[in-house]
Amino acid sequence: MRRSSVFGIFPLLLLLATGEASAHAMLDHAEPRVGNKVAASPHEVTLWFTQKLEPAFSTVTVTDPAGKQVDTGKVRVSGNQMSVSLRPGGPGTYHVTWRVLSVDSHSTDGSFAFQVGQ
Amino acid sequence: MSIRHARAGLSGLAIALVPLSPGVAHEIVGNRFFPATLGIDDPGVNDELALPTVDSFKTGDAPPVRQRDISGEFSKRITEDFAVSFGSTYTFLGPTDPTAAGANGFQNLDTTFKYRVYRNPEHEFVMSVGLSVEWGGTGGKSVGADPFNTYTPNFYFGKGLGDLPDTLSWVRPVAITGQVGYAIPGRNSTTTFGIDPDSGLATVDTEFHPRVLNWGATIQYSMPYLKTAVVDLGLPDFINRLIPLVEANLQTPVANTLTSGTMTTGTINPGVIWVGNTFQVGIEALIPINRQSGTNVGVIAQLHLFLDDIDPHGIGKPSFGNAVQPASPFARN
Repeated sequence: MRRSSVFGIFPLLLLLATGEASAHAMLDHAEPRVGNKVAASPHEVTLWFTQKLEPAFSTVTVTDPAGKQVDTGKVRVSGNQMSVSLRPGGPGTYHVTWRVLSVDSHSTDGSFAFQVGQ
Repeated sequence: MSIRHARAGLSGLAIALVPLSPGVAHEIVGNRFFPATLGIDDPGVNDELALPTVDSFKTGDAPPVRQRDISGEFSKRITEDFAVSFGSTYTFLGPTDPTAAGANGFQNLDTTFKYRVYRNPEHEFVMSVGLSVEWGGTGGKSVGADPFNTYTPNFYFGKGLGDLPDTLSWVRPVAITGQVGYAIPGRNSTTTFGIDPDSGLATVDTEFHPRVLNWGATIQYSMPYLKTAVVDLGLPDFINRLIPLVEANLQTPVANTLTSGTMTTGTINPGVIWVGNTFQVGIEALIPINRQSGTNVGVIAQLHLFLDDIDPHGIGKPSFGNAVQPASPFARN
């Protein structure tokens, strides 16, 4: 490969790193943070993704330490953010399961946990 | 086609079996992202472009030969689970003996047909089968390209450890992938007729082309997985996108070995992959497992583009049928 061809790749790389190219919507971060502990049961769980989401095909469920669903079922999606309100619960490990469809039509899913208690 | 090997001839020497082609195909299975690894191929199928992959090392010949390769591979999904990839490599051979001539040229073209037979998101497990064909005569003899085809049926698998119990949560980011292939040359032997310069008598030299078991594996620790599925430690974004890994890429002649012997050759490749949203870059050391596999630590690096993410409605989608879509909004529990 000629050297000029190699150098020609770097502008493309820069474009991909900073541009608006679509991609799978992967979880970027969440609140409560993945695997972390909060003192009291949160009022809601919010997830931020790496891409914008299709609201009709994106969902999240939260279960308490007993495995009982504690989210209200009303998922709110705005851009790359998805939230769901929670009913009050006790201490222990809560599990969050999500599945989303990005605006470019890729679906992804995943799960994580957080702890409630001192 | 990723575990491929060239037996390049230079000044009558047989150059050690070394990996030539980049691995392709990243794969997402549930929480797990399997990156495209550099030494062996990955367990999934996808639309992607590995360009360029560059490597440099010294072969196991005596005296050793400095080999540098630049290769590219394009993979295209025909259906959601079936893909075809095309690869090409340009090789530079530079002898360390100043009296010997160097050589450069293309290796044989490669085509791989690959079908994903099973995917289990819950257990982060995926399995594929494939057939790689090295098209004989499409590369240069000076860099050791064979004049005959080689057919390699392959088996691929990947398993993430995300289903481990909470007490082992720090091990969940670990994943293992593997590939096993059986390379079958289209010709059993090559006979060369010549004249002995000393005696003037006719000579007959027969080289048997062995059937080779190509086998390899990777063990990976995914920082993206740690952050998004186990615990968010608040580390810098650059760290959260790294996947340190070790690859093993080995070859064992198992049949028709009269002239080749049966010694296993190959490399152990520690390295790291940085994963972006639409591309990844990786770099690994090439550590030969024995003298026959190489005479120094080499290096391999790769830029890998995720075409399904760069152009999801064009070249990045299957030729027939769309990517798997939910038929209706997800049912809630």
